[in-house]
Amino acid sequence: MTQLMSSVRRSASSLRGGPPRGLLAPLGVLVIAVTVIGYLAAVDPNEGGNYPTCPFLALTGHQCPGCGALRTIHALAHGHLGEAFGLNVFVVTMVPLLAFFWIRWTVARARGRPTRTKAADPRLIWAFLVLVLAFWLVRNLPFGAFLAA
Amino acid sequence: MSYNTPGYGGYPSAPQGPPPPNHLVWAILTTIFCCLPLGIVSIVFSTQVNSKWQSGDHAGAQKASNNAKTWAIVSAVIGVIAGILSFVIQLALAS
Repeated sequence: MTQLMSSVRRSASSLRGGPPRGLLAPLGVLVIAVTVIGYLAAVDPNEGGNYPTCPFLALTGHQCPGCGALRTIHALAHGHLGEAFGLNVFVVTMVPLLAFFWIRWTVARARGRPTRTKAADPRLIWAFLVLVLAFWLVRNLPFGAFLAA
Repeated sequence: MSYNTPGYGGYPSAPQGPPPPNHLVWAILTTIFCCLPLGIVSIVFSTQVNSKWQSGDHAGAQKASNNAKTWAIVSAVIGVIAGILSFVIQLALAS
């Protein structure tokens, strides 16, 4: 009974107007993402000295899976899709995936539901891991230079 | 009613409630931006959350979820520190 009362009270408060409190976190992430993309669009990573070089690249001379990410986002923000694909295919393909996760999270928050109700097939994530490792390796090999940033 | 009734071990229990978070987004973000291979460790724990949950090992899934979170934080912090160090050293070398 007390549970019923509290759930009635909760739905009444969410009807009172204004965005539900659960949406503050998704909105915060959106603001941060827009700020980062705006900064990367304005301050060109192609000019030396604006950003630090990847520590892994500086130490080993080899590219990590994320190398070229800043230049890729800069290119995407300016609508240069071909240039973005040439720099880091992995980052370009992650953009729609991350957008999907954000939308699913926001919708779940708005409805007051858990973000995921069942676990996806773990083989999907294993395949993702293998692809990331393969990308890391191949972009550092001579025949994989087209994948390097 | 107890879910840990003795004598019924060995059967995976039916899933109760939503699975624990696998923090895959953090794993992806640290792999892209931290330039350190630690994000890979987070991805491995993400897979474990889903596979253990599917096989009915809910305690194991929760543990993997906590590990995924810890490693995402560790790689993010080390990534930021390495980035700042790298920037300072490169500035020092350039001047």
